[in-house]
Amino acid sequence: MPPWKLRYARACNIFPIPNGVDIDCIAFRRPCPDVAIRSTIRKLFRSTQRTSYTTQVAGAVALRKQLKDEAKVKRAAGSTSTSPSPPSIQQMLKDWELTVGIEIHAQLNTARKLFSHAATSINDEPNTHVAFFDVAIPGSLPKFQNATLIPALRAAIALECRIQHISRFDRKHYFYHDQPAGYQLTQYYEPFAKNGCITLTEDDGIGRMDGKAGQPLIEIISLPQIHSPETAAAYVRKIQAILLAVDAVTTGMEMGGLRADVNVSVRRRDGPLGNSEYSGITGLGQRTEIKNLSTLKGVEEAIKAERDRQISILEAGGAVDGETRGWSLTAPTVTRRLRGKEGEVDYRYMPDPDIAPITIGADVIEYLAKTLPKLPNQLLTMLTEDKRYRLSMTDAKILLQLDDGERLEYYTSVVEKLNNICRDLEAEVDLGSTGQLAANWVMHELGSLLTRADRSWKDTQVPSAKLASILANLMSKKITGNSAKQVLKLIFDGDGREVGAIIREEGLVYRPLSGEEYADLASKVLEQHNDKVKQIREKGQTGKLMFLVGQMMRAGEEGRVDAKEAESVLHRILLEEPSQKRA
Amino acid sequence: MSLVVEAHKSLINVGLRAASNAFVTHLPTGIHGQDRVQKYVERAQTRLEHPSLHEPKSLLDGQVVAIKDNIWTARFPTSCASGILQGFQSPRDANVVNALEQAGAMVIGKTNMDEFGMGSHSTNSYKGGVRNNAVPGLHRSAGGSSGGSAMAVLNGQCRIALATDTGGSVRLPAAYTGLIGFKPSYGRLSRHGVVPYANSLDTVGIIGKDAEDILRTFRQLDRPDTNDPTCINAATRRRIADLKSARYRQRSGSTIRLIRKPSPQRVENSNFPVDRRRRYPGLVGRTDWAQVIGVPAEYNIAELSDSVREAWNRTLSQLDARGHTIVPISLPTTKAALSAYYVLAPAEASSNLAKYDGIRYGVRCSNSETQPDQTPTSPLYSHTRGAGFGDEVKRRILLGTYSLSSAGINNYFIQAQKIRRLVQREFDSVFSLPNPLRTHTITPLTETGVDYIICPTAPTPPPRLIDLKSSTPFDAYMNDVLTVPASLAGLPAISVPAPVAPESRYTDFANVGIQVIGQYGDDEALVRFVHVELQATDKEVRHYKRWRKKRFL
Repeated sequence: MPPWKLRYARACNIFPIPNGVDIDCIAFRRPCPDVAIRSTIRKLFRSTQRTSYTTQVAGAVALRKQLKDEAKVKRAAGSTSTSPSPPSIQQMLKDWELTVGIEIHAQLNTARKLFSHAATSINDEPNTHVAFFDVAIPGSLPKFQNATLIPALRAAIALECRIQHISRFDRKHYFYHDQPAGYQLTQYYEPFAKNGCITLTEDDGIGRMDGKAGQPLIEIISLPQIHSPETAAAYVRKIQAILLAVDAVTTGMEMGGLRADVNVSVRRRDGPLGNSEYSGITGLGQRTEIKNLSTLKGVEEAIKAERDRQISILEAGGAVDGETRGWSLTAPTVTRRLRGKEGEVDYRYMPDPDIAPITIGADVIEYLAKTLPKLPNQLLTMLTEDKRYRLSMTDAKILLQLDDGERLEYYTSVVEKLNNICRDLEAEVDLGSTGQLAANWVMHELGSLLTRADRSWKDTQVPSAKLASILANLMSKKITGNSAKQVLKLIFDGDGREVGAIIREEGLVYRPLSGEEYADLASKVLEQHNDKVKQIREKGQTGKLMFLVGQMMRAGEEGRVDAKEAESVLHRILLEEPSQKRA
Repeated sequence: MSLVVEAHKSLINVGLRAASNAFVTHLPTGIHGQDRVQKYVERAQTRLEHPSLHEPKSLLDGQVVAIKDNIWTARFPTSCASGILQGFQSPRDANVVNALEQAGAMVIGKTNMDEFGMGSHSTNSYKGGVRNNAVPGLHRSAGGSSGGSAMAVLNGQCRIALATDTGGSVRLPAAYTGLIGFKPSYGRLSRHGVVPYANSLDTVGIIGKDAEDILRTFRQLDRPDTNDPTCINAATRRRIADLKSARYRQRSGSTIRLIRKPSPQRVENSNFPVDRRRRYPGLVGRTDWAQVIGVPAEYNIAELSDSVREAWNRTLSQLDARGHTIVPISLPTTKAALSAYYVLAPAEASSNLAKYDGIRYGVRCSNSETQPDQTPTSPLYSHTRGAGFGDEVKRRILLGTYSLSSAGINNYFIQAQKIRRLVQREFDSVFSLPNPLRTHTITPLTETGVDYIICPTAPTPPPRLIDLKSSTPFDAYMNDVLTVPASLAGLPAISVPAPVAPESRYTDFANVGIQVIGQYGDDEALVRFVHVELQATDKEVRHYKRWRKKRFL
């Protein structure tokens, strides 16, 4: 199994503890007793996971597209924007600088709740997986589930955070209907990961873990360093793609696995600096927060709407209130006020006295970093730059996108096996081209078979070894391209024979024609198409040559006429022989 | 006294001495109650008749116990003496209750207390306050918050009572009622199923008449619990035992004064009797050696009444006469400790009590007052909380909410945590045994360190309930000044009765509480020390006990 395929369906269920490695903090001393229940949970999750992975890779690839689009949008001065700002605002945008900070809440991919043994489940009936602590029965105590750390740590590693050796949980107090204890357990004073960084933009990715209604969440908070709505959406998309790629979260935004809160402020580019300050960044304008955005489009639209609103207020001489606002899909061009400053909650953060500090050993981080699945960007680099593959960027992206990464796995397996066969045969083939060839067959030939048969991707239909064998035969010219396609079709339709056997038994072995046979065939074809011969010979219309090649192929025995050979024979007969005669 | 007789007497006493209001809920008494306990009685009877067939489950088998109302019991509701949790039925037994029942003890009922453990006189209860009517005359305070547990033991309604101690809630009632109240080290007994008041301070404690009972009960309950993240695990327990045995080895090689005359048995064995070694591994004969007793000068506060100071003196002289060394020590943060406690405990309480909103359990009071548009004047939450909580609880929620608010946290909560750390360090610096939670290696003993600290439990004998009516809440807080330091540091502490001067014995209160504090994890040795040196050998206490016995059956 290639390393990037180390995908954990439900993180803690199949997380292997390295043998002999002394994990000093995440000690799984007490194995969960209900293995049967856990496996059903895993099964339940399969279905949702499938769908999520499609969105994952789509998101990953769309990032570049998004950035490109963004550049395009910039060039076109916002003409392609879905809901263009009014022209007056467009004018004002030159004078005003937008600043956005984003807080992303992602639901971790774990089997258990953060502080109880109860299972996390989105498919089951409500109120079926509840421990005493989850409903805050007085007298119940939290039980930290070590395994929830694993997806959180994977996310932190993928975002290149500095993981803290010791982190603690705090209580964040507010009354809310989904919060029975009256407080949320979160890492406020000492989060487990700090100072992350992603390539899109420098950010202060503070990762902290929360338990809301028992579901483990991580919060990723960016510094207010984003200055356009499109970049903000791209940032969220990128984070989502990374989290999905390392299997830290179950689902993307579409399924509710991710939520974003955005803080928006504007300031005049040439005017005096604002008075607000956040985490060391000073001179910002008064900010407002838009809560609970659940789509990427929503992030972009809400920021735009809020920016326009703030600029209008400030241009009219008013002042922006620090308040919490909401945005909804039904009215995408406006944000509405949820609560003002007077409604602001003092969360009264208090270190939780029941939960021991979490100590994360360096060896755990090292192990997780080693087994981390490759990120989309790394995969693209691998496909385009590794000398085994050397695909074009377009092909690589398509490959990455298909069948939630399974096609990619299949592809790498085919290439590996093909290279092995070629090396064993010591055949004189160009090893550099195997990557591209395999890609064509995996993507296009298999793809067209799938579409025609209206079937979905199934790994087992054409084992990668068989496809590799077909391609090896093709490369060593034992069969022609057409024959190879026939063999593939047979196997695809369920032929269980070995590739060699099929070729032999179906008589597809390529027996090249001898020189005389080619000459005979050529003269036969030339006789039938005298007019073409004339055109070529007298008018020099060499393009017509290919027509004759086609005719030769059709006239000859199936699978035996090689197009290149036929062309060279025709070339010799039609163009070289007369000139020799003339000479 | 046979077990059956004792059980019957306990039940009779529950009915007879209902005036002290020690119980919130209990088994039915009288003729109906006999039916309910018939099964228990039969079990005890067969055991007595056929002792060979019925191995006792433990030393506690057949004993009657009472449980404080904030500890889960499957058979009785757990209301924490609060209106907001009236009739709340816990999902199962608390870990400690379960352990007692497995040992064969019978739970007779849930004892009255201060609401959620907040109070010093057990008067803040929705069931009405506890009355200490043991001494003729005006009713006195039973102490708090576990006043009900103490009164149940004193009244002969049970043999042992489980209670909780947050800032002295076990020791103060024991001192006021002349009983032994033991607060183990934080984390020794599981808190699973104990409704929290202040999680970082709460401990399950034991109240009884006899230190032997307390030791037996403690042994039964002292075990790791995976359901309580703050309960110390088996590995830490082993380390604590190692530390103690290392100290013993070191001690036995140094100059030791034997206090008692060596018994023939002891002469036979070079060191100690084998059977005792088996019974108390790691603790063999600890109390037979001379101990160094620390007397903190700061505990001699101005508020200390004469009778208490006199009893303290007598206890120390008695120990000195028995060959122990008495040394003065200094614990300067004692005064600040009380303030720190009254910042930290309400802060945690305000957080813990946020869950009582009338939605999932307890009572729900809907607001009958409505605005003209038919919407209630206040949300369901606030109305329920307003009606359900008592005044003291509301006061502490407000206190805690403020000390955690962004305006108050730096000045109050953070400072209080710093004081707490100072208090812990101070205790560590005076004890000869290193704190096993802070030291992972066995360090040599300091020659200057003390084994136990002895000080009064409460500044005064129990006040009259009628006097409390005119006092302010702050006066009640002052009662905890001598007990909170041990709570803040998580140390084991035990309150034992010490007789007051003979001239005032029968007119006023017969004895006051003297507190013994030990190093973290030294629980068993502490109880044994009290048993051997302060309780069993004291003729005056025995005399007092006889007098008491005459009065109650």
